[in-house]
Amino acid sequence: MNITKTIFRSMLAISLMAFTACSSDDDGATDPDGNPETSEKLYVLGLGVTTSTETTNYLIETDDLMSGVISLEGQGTLQEGYRDYAQGGDTFYSIGGLGVTDVNTITASEDGTLNIQSGLTFDSQVDGFQDVDGNGNTMVGISSPLSPTMGENIKFYTVDIASNTKNNITNIPFSSVYDITQDWIFHTGMQISGGKLYQTFYPVNATTYETKNTDTQYVAIYSYPGFELEKVITDTRVGPAGAFNTRSGIFKAENGDLYTISNSSFTNGYSQSTKPAGILRIPAGTSSFDPDYFFNTSEAMTGGRIAHAIYIGNNKLFAAVTVAEHTIDNRWSDANLRLAIVDLTSQTISLVEGAPEFTGNGGRSFAAFKEEGKVYTSISDANGTVNIYQTDISTATAVKGATVEASFVGGIGRLR
Amino acid sequence: MRQIILSFISLIFISIPANIFGQTDYEILKGQIVDIYGTPLYGANVIVIDLNQGTSANSNGDYVLKGNFEGTYEIEYSYLGFKSIIKKITFKKGETQTLNIILNEDPSALDEISLKSKSKIRLKREEAYAINVIKAEELYNTGANINDVLNRTSGVRVRENGGLGSDFTFSLNGFSGRQVKFFLDGIPIDNFGSSLTLNNFPVNLADRIEVYKGVLPINLGSDALGGAVNIVTRTNPNYLDVSYGYGSFNTHRANLNFAYTNLKNGFTARAITFYNYSDNNYKVKVKPIDLETGQRMEEQEVERFHDKYASATANIEVGITGKSYADKLLIGFIASGNEKDIQTGVTMDQIFGARTANSRAFIPTLKYSKKNIVIDGLDLSFYGAYNNVRNQFIDTTRVRYNWLQETKPTTSAELNRTQLVNKDREALVTTNLGYQINNHHGVSLNYLVSDFNRESSDEEDPDNITFLFPQKLRKHILGFAYQAKYERFTGTAFAKAYYLQAESFENYTNNTGESNYQQTNTNANNFGYGSAATYFIMPKLQAKISYEHTYRLPEASELLGDGLYTRRNSDLTPETSDNINVGAKYEFNITSNNILAIDANYLFRKSKDFIRLDQSQSQPVDRQYVNLGDVSTNGVEVAVNYSYKNQLKAGANFTYQSLIDKQEFLTSTNFQGTTTSPNLNYGFRVPNIPYLYGNFNLDYTIPKKNREDKNQLNIGYSLNYVHEYFLTPNQLGSNNQDNIPTQLSHNIGASYELLKGKFNISLELKNISNEDLYDNYLLQKPGRSFFINLRYFLDKSIF
Repeated sequence: MNITKTIFRSMLAISLMAFTACSSDDDGATDPDGNPETSEKLYVLGLGVTTSTETTNYLIETDDLMSGVISLEGQGTLQEGYRDYAQGGDTFYSIGGLGVTDVNTITASEDGTLNIQSGLTFDSQVDGFQDVDGNGNTMVGISSPLSPTMGENIKFYTVDIASNTKNNITNIPFSSVYDITQDWIFHTGMQISGGKLYQTFYPVNATTYETKNTDTQYVAIYSYPGFELEKVITDTRVGPAGAFNTRSGIFKAENGDLYTISNSSFTNGYSQSTKPAGILRIPAGTSSFDPDYFFNTSEAMTGGRIAHAIYIGNNKLFAAVTVAEHTIDNRWSDANLRLAIVDLTSQTISLVEGAPEFTGNGGRSFAAFKEEGKVYTSISDANGTVNIYQTDISTATAVKGATVEASFVGGIGRLR
Repeated sequence: MRQIILSFISLIFISIPANIFGQTDYEILKGQIVDIYGTPLYGANVIVIDLNQGTSANSNGDYVLKGNFEGTYEIEYSYLGFKSIIKKITFKKGETQTLNIILNEDPSALDEISLKSKSKIRLKREEAYAINVIKAEELYNTGANINDVLNRTSGVRVRENGGLGSDFTFSLNGFSGRQVKFFLDGIPIDNFGSSLTLNNFPVNLADRIEVYKGVLPINLGSDALGGAVNIVTRTNPNYLDVSYGYGSFNTHRANLNFAYTNLKNGFTARAITFYNYSDNNYKVKVKPIDLETGQRMEEQEVERFHDKYASATANIEVGITGKSYADKLLIGFIASGNEKDIQTGVTMDQIFGARTANSRAFIPTLKYSKKNIVIDGLDLSFYGAYNNVRNQFIDTTRVRYNWLQETKPTTSAELNRTQLVNKDREALVTTNLGYQINNHHGVSLNYLVSDFNRESSDEEDPDNITFLFPQKLRKHILGFAYQAKYERFTGTAFAKAYYLQAESFENYTNNTGESNYQQTNTNANNFGYGSAATYFIMPKLQAKISYEHTYRLPEASELLGDGLYTRRNSDLTPETSDNINVGAKYEFNITSNNILAIDANYLFRKSKDFIRLDQSQSQPVDRQYVNLGDVSTNGVEVAVNYSYKNQLKAGANFTYQSLIDKQEFLTSTNFQGTTTSPNLNYGFRVPNIPYLYGNFNLDYTIPKKNREDKNQLNIGYSLNYVHEYFLTPNQLGSNNQDNIPTQLSHNIGASYELLKGKFNISLELKNISNEDLYDNYLLQKPGRSFFINLRYFLDKSIF
């Protein structure tokens, strides 16, 4: 059935191309390169499928996020092991985890399919991977082992996107960043601004995941590109920035200002919560918190803990924020979330209309992608049906898009 | 279906005659067994066929058989190399009869199927259960291990990660892991440690290997979900069997088995000892990773460099046999251990150069059996074992390796710094009580209790809270069975009660973030039942049917969690399965020398509530074992065997099993309530299970030139076939590369017996075409290899 369909489609495509080629001979107007399809958008999704035996991860391309069904039946490419995703320029990365230490590089091939390159293998799991400056030239990666038995150093890497090569590897002992006799630390986010790399983390017992120290926020500041530790700054107005594996601890505005997001939320794995949830600022070019900026998000609304976020420009975040108060019994649940637009300047949170309350994917990078004033993300409803939601940033309203036949969407990106 | 079973059970009960009591005395049969020259035939067997009860002659050829024989019985006299004789004898109550027998030598007796003389193995095969009985004796010369042997039978796939001593998954009709149970002489060996597993056991320790596919007899008291393997060790009263083999990859296998029985005073000593060693340095095709750039290099062939395996085991038993108070009373001690290098992780991209594991086991055992205890027809057997097993896993080298053996320093370990030690203690007691009501009816009772306790520690991670609390699990399994046996019909109906008590601990975190731990307990009861029957439609055409409703009880950690990473699930129920087997066996002589046997079986399984770890991908804790997974299985197995005289034997078997995922929705219950999502594999084949495979073998014995020729040469060829299967749901994604391609391997072998089998030499060439073989994802298995084995066998006392 599928084969006949494919053959039929290819034949149709070939005849159309032939027709186009003939007709372009006649009027000679349309495309000088003879390649009219390159202008078409190509998105890539990282999908997870949980069956009764295991979870498998796939990459699939689509040119339409807003209608129809995105199905893996007979389509998509299986990825080895656990996968997380990142984007740099027009390149999408599929990052291995839970024992898999390679990063696959995905670009668009000319015929609109995925070109998946393997070949980047790291010493240990890559815990953060992002574009240095948003220009699509260099990715910065961090490996931050989850316990002293797995490694005693934080490792930084840079990857040249064009040549797909790894270089500039630096080791930083955990003990120079935090007193590891007290607790271990987990990476929660990083940004590069003004020749420095700012890293957020939270202190945690590497065995029990208990969080005894939630009174202080820590940001480690390194030189970039040298990755030399300069200092660790602290602030006690809020608890640690970010949460387990979510990579939503720190964001950079266009002017270089950095905003750190603290939620100390049980639903994201904290075992206690001793400070309000809120956002602090590190002004561009400085190495200290702005004492005059504090956005207390837990006072802004019921819940008000920002679990997952991406920066969407003009001092705004697109976020998944809790809309209920939680206790220790809700630990790790990532529940009662709504999509929201967080304005860092006016210090307001606007819930997105048209998108339901949902339960998140816990400790994963936020699968959200912004283009042309819209953000695409996914929500799984109570029946387990997953849909793409397109949010208009200016109006904070969402439209339900394509149905995704998978258990969850782990990443969304655009290749052209 | 249920109606069929019910009517079947009632059929059995209706046929119990009213007068079933009233016999109190022994009947005795005695005499002497000699050959035509009057030489006593020491070790010749005497068996009361209907009762499967027997003895063997002493060095004077004398035998005495005492039992409840009132009525008419067929008695079989047999001896290796002689024609068997069957005598019909009628006993009056309390009568003693003397019968002296002369057996004639039979030059072709070793191979010709003698339909009248039924060996123990044949009797076992003819039981109502769906069973494969592998006669180990035919394989003694090869030096094979038990996994090798089982892999050639229908319904079984043993998937190994590599060479000798590597981890393996045993799957029986699609069931695997703890769903299939293993026994050594009826004692469960699941918790005996990694040096006492089927890949360590040489086939020479076994008299036979029984593979139950579905219904288990209740004397194998266990909570298997679909079948079991019972290894029955050799029972020869006096013998010595020594062998040593050497093969590719510096593989050495040695074993020494012996038994001594003093027929006068009943003193018995038995020993099973074996040693395995291999470098496992076979070549694999890999793309090594450059440790500096992280890039893969060109594909090349490299030798495995950190995969040595050594194991040694001694099982010594001493006691008495043939006394009035005990037919058998043996005290034994098993000492066993292994050392293992770990070369790879779950894929060939995880390379280790220093990780190791080891295991030590010390297990005292006690075996007692007595027929006709207290009253006639009442048989008691008792097995006890206390196992004391220590398994250790070590990763302490601060170096990372690649396939070229290049290294790079790390700060903690190769992967995760550990010296984890698991100390397991388990007391096991199983008691069987059987009562033969009369010639046709019997009842039996089995009670098994096991008390398991695990303590863990890790000097690299001493504060890990999970190590502070031992885990305990106690299981009681009580079985009751009724057996009926008529000339053509044998049937059994049984019921089993399962009771489980588990102890662990649980982590409570209070609102200030402090953790406290407290002990937790749970109890569970379940009730299983089943029935099996067989009927000889014609003397050589046998039909079998069996059904059971069975359970596999959860382990302590599954039920109660580990207090840290895995949360308790007090709602966890045992895995359950309804198993049906229907089969037929037909044997016919094309001519008197050409015999063809066909064995065909159909099996159906409706399995529910598989216990699986609900592995959330997005958080490190709050995992839980859940009942997830309904599977329906339809399978067909066919085995065909042909033999010509004692010269040519050919056999083929094939297995097809369709395992379909019947779990429509996946539900996951967390603190927020239950979330449901559709299972995208619903209605499709369960991945990662071989579903079509087969074996073929051809053996030829060069005919002797004359009868006095004491030497004999056998040559053989075998073929293994496994059809391609996928490790992930194949309907998803295009061009699924996550597969095990179709595999075909050819093996040839030859053995030469000297002095009527006293000295034997055999040579085996495996995978002669050097195919690339895999069992698990990208884990390559050895290519072409050879093995040469020398064996000395003495079928009498060494003293």
